[in-house]
Amino acid sequence: MDNIKIITEHWDKIDPKKIADYVAVGGYETLRKFVCEADPASALQEIKKSGLLGRGGAGFPIGDKLELVASSNKKEKYFICNLDESEPGTYKDREIAKNNPHLLIEGIALASLIIGAKKAFIYLNGNYEEEEEILECALSQSIENGFIGEGILGSEYGLEMEVFQGAGAYICGEETALLNSIEGRRGEPRLRPPYPTDKGLWGHPTAIGNAETVSNFPWIIKNGGAEYSRIGSADSPGTKLYTLGGSVKNTGIFELPTGISIRDLIQKSGGGMMLGKEFWFAQIGGASGRLVLENELEEKLVLKKGAKIPLGSGAVLVVDKTVDIHDMILSWTGFFRRESCGKCVPCREGTFRLFEIAKRMNNGKMSERDKAAVSDILWALENTTFCPFGKFSATAFRDTVEKLNISNS
Amino acid sequence: MKPVTVEKILLEFDPEQGNILPVLKRINAAFGYVSETDAKKMADYFSVSLSHIFELASFYSLIGTKKDSDIVIKICSGTNCTVQGSSCLIAEVEKYFGIKAGDEFNPKVRLEVISCLGRCGEGPIMMVNGRIYTKVTVSGARDILENME
Ligand SMILES: Cc1cc2nc3c(=O)[nH]c(=O)nc-3n(C[C@H](O)[C@H](O)[C@H](O)COP(=O)(O)O)c2cc1C
Ligand code: SF4
Repeated sequence: MDNIKIITEHWDKIDPKKIADYVAVGGYETLRKFVCEADPASALQEIKKSGLLGRGGAGFPIGDKLELVASSNKKEKYFICNLDESEPGTYKDREIAKNNPHLLIEGIALASLIIGAKKAFIYLNGNYEEEEEILECALSQSIENGFIGEGILGSEYGLEMEVFQGAGAYICGEETALLNSIEGRRGEPRLRPPYPTDKGLWGHPTAIGNAETVSNFPWIIKNGGAEYSRIGSADSPGTKLYTLGGSVKNTGIFELPTGISIRDLIQKSGGGMMLGKEFWFAQIGGASGRLVLENELEEKLVLKKGAKIPLGSGAVLVVDKTVDIHDMILSWTGFFRRESCGKCVPCREGTFRLFEIAKRMNNGKMSERDKAAVSDILWALENTTFCPFGKFSATAFRDTVEKLNISNS
Repeated sequence: MKPVTVEKILLEFDPEQGNILPVLKRINAAFGYVSETDAKKMADYFSVSLSHIFELASFYSLIGTKKDSDIVIKICSGTNCTVQGSSCLIAEVEKYFGIKAGDEFNPKVRLEVISCLGRCGEGPIMMVNGRIYTKVTVSGARDILENME
């Protein structure tokens, strides 16, 4: 099953603005079957059996999350598709929306009906203008065709769906910040518990799933969770959209099973290094991710919690030896300083200080005091920040210091 | 076509909390930024404090709170664009105009270093007054700037 394509199967073959193209390849059949015969409980069982882990970065079993909301007897519930996607180097969700928006809409509809939500949101990255147009177009076509709205395909199921577009803030990808953003507040993370599954949007039970996660739903419910669980690595099954970038011959989005090695991704999909470029290191999972050296390339890409090299959003950036590490450090530290939401002091101040030091490092003016401060700042970011963003902001810097042999003068 | 006014934009939306961000975006799109006067009208309409409107407007990078410079150049400094050489572009634009990235006091021109736009396959990315240029080289950047004037 190495060649199986679940999400990208029909890319390039269908026109995203024509619902008939999607229907012609069996699209919305799973939704039709769901509303006509199946009951939500058995669909949920298939999702749980599939072992599908969230593709947004945290790798939580999506079936368990849906079950928490499905089992709540509150009347008002929401499903939110997270398409904020702003992890540097990641653009897989954008490609889903652009190439097959109806697959996404069908997946969101299934997830929403499973938990008993009457309203679903797509939280879309504020920069994704073309995708907004495509999604709005797809959504209105699916409403016209009776797949979304009151009485789906003549059944008793109903679902309202809305695209809500952000306005440029990385932190709004974090699910509780995302909730605040929709509610018209500053997009700052909330204290947990209560978890969104208990008290989410406007205080009602809410399940939040990444766009890639829910795009697997039609396939899983159609073919069965057991079938899905046989794809890829046993502890985090399925296919994954990898965003490969940097100094390789072929960059882009590749759908491959989980559990492949970093080396295979770079060699087989990426076609190896660009002519004349020598591998230095790779960064796995976006700007928040770990750095890996040549001797770690056999490491398997899995989503399971506690993996040695977390796959995160699935971005793999290959860096060659001609790249100036100071530029990379400025890119990382500048990003986290810019995007820190400012709610907690260690992150607001820590990311700022780290960026200042990176600038002095770049100019060759790093002082003894700076050198001493770095370890304290990294420690504070890793251990005392309010949300995982703070921790992420230290990862690449720490790996640079500990793994790459650079003189930090 | 009649000119757009803030009042007209407000009337397109119900005065619900969830509409505050969409209205901010509409006003920003229509006028280029959200002025204090407009923010006051919004605060009245949504029955929230002026500071609530302002703390939202200032939070999001796609919403401005003051009139922008005539020429606004944005260069992505995401990890992919950096590997593809965006730091040289930043240096080139700084040199060309004699400005520093991040400075906001020049009414004529402003250079902003921005986060990833999800166009990593086409980097480095440079934007000039909203228009996106892909795979920009240093000499390409120079051409773009020269032909703009
Ligand atoms: C700083 C930060 C940024 C995040 N950005 C995103 C994002 O852009 N897209 C996304 O799907 N999840 C993002 N997440 C993860 C979400 O909080 C959440 O776990 C996810 O949307 C759940 O969906 P999943 O279970 O399908 O992965 C982010 C988390 C953090 C801490
Ligand atoms: S860690 Fe950073 S992003 Fe998270 S709440 Fe604190 S300031 Fe905001």
